[in-house]
Amino acid sequence: MTGFRVSPICDAMRLAQRATSEKMAKPSSEESLIATEREINQMRFAQGNSSGHSTTLGITDLSFLTRFGVKGAAAAAWLHAQNLPIPDAPNRWLPLRGGGLIARLGFNEFLIEDSINSSIAPQLIELSQHPPAKVYPVLRQDAAIALGGSLILDLLAQTCSLHFRALNLSECPVVLTTMVGVNVTIIPGEIYRIWCDGTYGVYLWQTLLNIIEEMQGGAVEFEQLLPL
Amino acid sequence: MKLITCPINGTRPVSEFVYGGELRLISDPQALDDQTWAEQVFYRNGAPGIKKEWWCHVPSNTWFIAERNTATDETLNTYLYGEEDSR
Amino acid sequence: MPFRLLKFALSKEHPEPRMFQSRDRLKSSYDAVIIGGGGHGLAAAYYLSRDYDMSNIAVIEKGYIGSGNTGRNTTIIRSNYLTPEGVKFYDESVRLWQDLSQDFDLNLFYSTRGHFTLAHTDSALRTMRWRAEVNKHFGIDSEVVSPDDIQSACPPMNLACGGHAPVLGALYHAPGSIARHDAVAWGYGRGADQRGVEIHQQTEVLGITVQSGRVTGVDTNRGHVSTPKVLCAVAGFTPRILDMVGLRSPLYIHPLQALVSEPMKPWLDPIIVSGSLHVYVSQTARGELVMGASLDPYELHSTRSTFDFAEGLAAHMLELFPFLSHVKIVRQWAGLADMTPDFAPIMGKTPIEGFYLDSGWGTWGFKATPVAGKTMAHTVACDRNHDLIQEFSLSRFKDYQLVGEKGAASVGH
Repeated sequence: MTGFRVSPICDAMRLAQRATSEKMAKPSSEESLIATEREINQMRFAQGNSSGHSTTLGITDLSFLTRFGVKGAAAAAWLHAQNLPIPDAPNRWLPLRGGGLIARLGFNEFLIEDSINSSIAPQLIELSQHPPAKVYPVLRQDAAIALGGSLILDLLAQTCSLHFRALNLSECPVVLTTMVGVNVTIIPGEIYRIWCDGTYGVYLWQTLLNIIEEMQGGAVEFEQLLPL
Repeated sequence: MKLITCPINGTRPVSEFVYGGELRLISDPQALDDQTWAEQVFYRNGAPGIKKEWWCHVPSNTWFIAERNTATDETLNTYLYGEEDSR
Repeated sequence: MPFRLLKFALSKEHPEPRMFQSRDRLKSSYDAVIIGGGGHGLAAAYYLSRDYDMSNIAVIEKGYIGSGNTGRNTTIIRSNYLTPEGVKFYDESVRLWQDLSQDFDLNLFYSTRGHFTLAHTDSALRTMRWRAEVNKHFGIDSEVVSPDDIQSACPPMNLACGGHAPVLGALYHAPGSIARHDAVAWGYGRGADQRGVEIHQQTEVLGITVQSGRVTGVDTNRGHVSTPKVLCAVAGFTPRILDMVGLRSPLYIHPLQALVSEPMKPWLDPIIVSGSLHVYVSQTARGELVMGASLDPYELHSTRSTFDFAEGLAAHMLELFPFLSHVKIVRQWAGLADMTPDFAPIMGKTPIEGFYLDSGWGTWGFKATPVAGKTMAHTVACDRNHDLIQEFSLSRFKDYQLVGEKGAASVGH
């Protein structure tokens, strides 16, 4: 793969930055930026550096993590043949050896996402170039977000109609629901992971960040909310 | 808030669902004359009652059958298509 | 006027006659029975008695006069539809509307405001041009106007709509009007009553007797009446009546909700409609904003209100008029819309002799009240479909001759 991609959320960060620097009536120089742009896995993304916010409420962009989607009646068997663990029911997830996760989104649909150090998804993309029958790779261009901090359930109560407190986290649930009107996939835990269609990324980010800032939280560096 | 129970994802607000119309069994178009086919295409069972309907849980794209009273808006039962008997 | 009112205050009995008489019992037979005492049914009774000399007629209403969609709509009257059939039909209706207050000697508060249908996308603007051309071809005052024109007609509007869906233009229809909807039912009811038509409220139809393909009578909760002609004008209840005579139709029933704000000083003269934002709004003579949105998304035979509706409508209204954020909603309600697949009504004769349908009025029935009454009166009296409704017959579905009216309100296209 050559060239680079841009995170679906990058524009939201850039817009917020422009607005802030205009408000502060400062020339927009590198020093005055509230966010910095970085590049990982050939993806450019911006991130906040409001350090310390992750204890109350922090949000960060993880769209740069590599991921792979697959569906079809033979998808589970094919993934098993690639030595991946298979969650035994829809809406469950499992951690992967070496980092990352596999989420079962339905009877026959899966999402595999790497951690910062692993690279299973690119291998699966490669392997699925010529897939067997009933295995269909799914292009995943998600906006991927992580949320962390003590006020996270209050944020979710404002934005989702699901009662997250009632979930049994030991069952490793995956929740498919709507958040501020956007269809999302959520994995709850110490850190909450959220995926949505990339085209809704800017809207979802801006809306969540508005609420988070009202709750004295902010956008943080991804290292503070690093997944498995 | 109106709630519907998705057979896979559990009880959710109605805003997470879309309605797919009444479950109708369509006959083989080749075996019908044009008039009967027009009835199949256009005509509906418009009076209220307990109907079997297609509904979809949108975030997960789960299509299922709901038995609903269309006069009172009470959902009596939901199940995946073809799994009515197993419940 | 104040002296007339004083007279009422001093009198022990109410000296002004009621709008129409209340009858103790049904007769054993009528020349025609009209099921449904809404605007359409009463208008048909009015024109039958006035123009066709038929006065031995009963209007049978399950609730009270105007308790259905006649009193539940958002009172908008216009004729800028898209199909030639629709345009001709609704234009005749607008013409009738304009003389109605005179006709009835009753103030309908008919108020010509001008009607803007906003376009937020290029494709919507293209449809507007198409509609404007069809309208102009039939001599209807309809044109595409620029954002500047909209702004000057409605200065408080935020044309940028928060940047999400900026207004690119609008279809402007100068004759667009509003009227006081319950007065329409009363006006037609009184006019029909004066000509001998009987109006029976709290009377429910339980069955319709049909013998060898001909209507012979109606069973009600107050007894049986025999009649050779039945007109069914019951909007959301049509499928239930059709089941009584064994007819099938494409009608499906979805609720259509609306709400009004608290009264304000007049600030909104025109009627504003946005298909993309799913809102329409006008300000009544009382100062309330009357607002509607789109059809509820699933079949239901109940006039309940939902919070989802109020929330969604408010969000879209605030895109256009952000300053309304502190205005309160005071009433919310719903009507049962009898929808058709081509957004055109189902009117005229049916395969059962003497059984006439005035249905499929979905979200577009109020504006058609006078013309539907007039054409149905002709159809019932002469047992022949009026020229203006030829295209709207129930048989069009089996003949694959759908109308395709995409200028209809509250429906996505």
